[in-house]
Amino acid sequence: METHEQSNSSPHGETIHLPAPTAWPIVMAFGVTLIFAGFVTNMIVSILGAVFFVTSAVGWFRQVLPHEAHEDLPVEAHDITIASTRTHVTRIEISEEHRAHLPVETYPILSGIKGGIAGGIAMIFPALLYGILSHHSIWYPVNLLGGAGVANWSNPTTQDIAAFHIQGLIVATIIHIATSVLVGLLYGAMLPMLPRHPIVLGGIIAPLLWTGLLHSTLGIINPVLDDRIAWGWFVVSQVAFGMVAGFVVARQGKIRTGQSMPFVLRMGIEASGLHSGEGEDRH
Amino acid sequence: MADSTYPMPGSLAEAPRQRWSQAAILEWLHSWVTTVDHKKLGILYMLYSIFFLLVGGVEAILIRIQLMQPNLHFISPQVFNRLFTMHGTTMVFLVGMTYIFGFANYLIPLMIGARDMAFPRLNALSFWLTFFGGLLLYYSFIGGGGLYGQGNAPDVGWWAYAPLTSRAFTPGHSTDYWALSLIVTGFGTIGASVNVVATALCMRCKGMTLMRLPLFVWLNVVTSALALITITPLTAAQIMLLIDRYLGGHFFDTQAGGSAVVWAHFFWIFGHPEVYVLVLPAFAIANEVIPVFSRKAIFGYPAMAAASVAIAFVSLGVWAHHMFTIGMTSVGNAFFVLSTMLVGIPTGIKIFNWIATMWGGKIRFATPMLFCTGFLVQFLLAGLTGIMLSVAPWDWQLHNSYFVIAHFHYVLVGGIVFCIFAGIYYWYPKVTGRMLSETLGKWHFWLFVIGFHITFDLMHIPGLLGMPRSIYTYEANRGWGTLNMIISIGGLIQAVAVLVFAVNLVWSYFKGKEAGNDPWDAWTLEWAAASPPPAYNFATDPVVTSRRPLWDLKHPEDPDWKYE
Repeated sequence: METHEQSNSSPHGETIHLPAPTAWPIVMAFGVTLIFAGFVTNMIVSILGAVFFVTSAVGWFRQVLPHEAHEDLPVEAHDITIASTRTHVTRIEISEEHRAHLPVETYPILSGIKGGIAGGIAMIFPALLYGILSHHSIWYPVNLLGGAGVANWSNPTTQDIAAFHIQGLIVATIIHIATSVLVGLLYGAMLPMLPRHPIVLGGIIAPLLWTGLLHSTLGIINPVLDDRIAWGWFVVSQVAFGMVAGFVVARQGKIRTGQSMPFVLRMGIEASGLHSGEGEDRH
Repeated sequence: MADSTYPMPGSLAEAPRQRWSQAAILEWLHSWVTTVDHKKLGILYMLYSIFFLLVGGVEAILIRIQLMQPNLHFISPQVFNRLFTMHGTTMVFLVGMTYIFGFANYLIPLMIGARDMAFPRLNALSFWLTFFGGLLLYYSFIGGGGLYGQGNAPDVGWWAYAPLTSRAFTPGHSTDYWALSLIVTGFGTIGASVNVVATALCMRCKGMTLMRLPLFVWLNVVTSALALITITPLTAAQIMLLIDRYLGGHFFDTQAGGSAVVWAHFFWIFGHPEVYVLVLPAFAIANEVIPVFSRKAIFGYPAMAAASVAIAFVSLGVWAHHMFTIGMTSVGNAFFVLSTMLVGIPTGIKIFNWIATMWGGKIRFATPMLFCTGFLVQFLLAGLTGIMLSVAPWDWQLHNSYFVIAHFHYVLVGGIVFCIFAGIYYWYPKVTGRMLSETLGKWHFWLFVIGFHITFDLMHIPGLLGMPRSIYTYEANRGWGTLNMIISIGGLIQAVAVLVFAVNLVWSYFKGKEAGNDPWDAWTLEWAAASPPPAYNFATDPVVTSRRPLWDLKHPEDPDWKYE
């Protein structure tokens, strides 16, 4: 706000126009309420409300047409001092050490998706191995996953789950592809937090977090799957996913992050005549 | 830094003390009844809101006394049904909706350098419609024939599900009073919302671009736009309900080809965005209080404005998470689970930005800031239980249990009521010219925060143990007795806190310390006007060059406009 602008005189000299007080709004509101109240009391109440409504509408129109009624309020000049007792302005200091921790280069998010796809393929093998060893069927883990999405498949027996079902295969494939890509995307998004050790992140930390999360919630989300899941094998397949995903990511080239660019470029500003320098360290 | 003198022709001169003769009282009353001044209407809205907060609070206390012990018959089941219906309806429509327009009416013109709202007469009409709508609702205690054949208040819950509302199950007029009074208050809400949007978009002073608009105003614009969208389906549904009841309609009559589920859709397409209609103005208050008491500009202004718009947008697509137990397709369930979770993102942005605003600041824990700090913690927890309930299988277990009651009271009380108190402590000096007592304010805060947590933290547990909502009483062997006793004691502590607040409001009005125009050393335009401001707010139109115009005046060597 600029003080020099305040020298403008009042638009109406000594007085200021304001809308004149009026009783018509309260009369109209009372009328509307009575109209509705009459529905549950007596029709005469509604008729009285309608009278109030019409009267107030006429009064209201007459107050604003052809010219709006107003009152002129006298201006009472009185200077107000705008001042602060806090005369000292401190800026938050950001030490260079903080910046040193920001990654100047990381893996692209796309590498996470590629890793997710590769990991998704890799984890199929321990899952199928589990099916063969435990139930002599490669379809057992497939149906265990796909059965969660087949609405009319309730309380299946172990033999049912071990048999081939086209619905189960289709749903399991969709779930597996979608989950692998999404987990890969999440993995890619997390990479800047741990840019130096993608295989550690993908192969150990992420499987442990994911398994812990599922272990604590699967009983609520899908109790049937929770009853049948073999957590040891689940961890093995997750680790297979993570190791392969991490390996694929590690083979991708790193890209520079926005941290290495000047502030103005990071903001995406391309106009000329920008404030620079002093604006950058303000927080 | 240098002092800047802002010539304010028009601040209030010391008014000569009036003698309270009968004529003076009548003149004083007449001035309030006929006023079109946004400030007086804002005060009327706030007084109305506080009055019904006390009424709704008394109803809550009666409910809690009834539930204190198993097999208690402190009130009858019929009265209990009326009390929880009226408590919910009162708190949402007569307290929540009116505090919004109280703050918005009083502050928006002052904050944007305008003399009044865009449509002053519509503004008065909107308030009086709300006022009389509330009176009509409470007149039902005298005039409404209810479910049990007695003249009394609505008893169908504030959600009024079909088919309970059909004439077969709800004879008499109690449900009609519920529908008709809310139609009337709905008209008031629509008028007030139109006014807020028009004022903020069309009446800003020179230099106040949308990106310099105080976040308080931004959020109220978003709120009003949301209210305009969501009140309409509720009003439509209530008219359809009346057609069903009296004109032979079958909209919600399943046996005649209608659908009771349609009512649930209509109600919740209003009801869930309504939560955001109520909470966004609370965010608006926090957006003003937290930076001033942290002595830092708000962190991430554009993100805060964008997140508000995003919350409003997403909130329009989440309503059926209230209906998981009614039964939907798995695709429907999945959509509403995901859309509900999505709200957590813009809300999270806001919480992070408030914390980032406080981080590194010189925080003053005056009463407004205490309430905002409580709000931050509690709203975060409320959001977390909201995410839990957004998961359909979890909701199947806990829907209509006290866990849900605890969750939404965490939002409505822990979030919204805390911010209302923060806003009243913050702007009371501007409205009255006097400070609220800090000592009583701190008593109010600590009693309220203790009572709140005793009540609503513990209320989650009987919900998890299976206690359903709206239950009149329970058997002793359920194991809910001790918890309910402690929960009710917490409610009583909150009631004491509110009484302390009421005493503070009255005592400080007469005996409070003189506030001056800018007691908090704040930055938005309202603090450049006298306390209380003159009828015309600003004698000359202000010109602003940044988001914090008063900062620029107080610190001309380091103005904000250099950096924005």
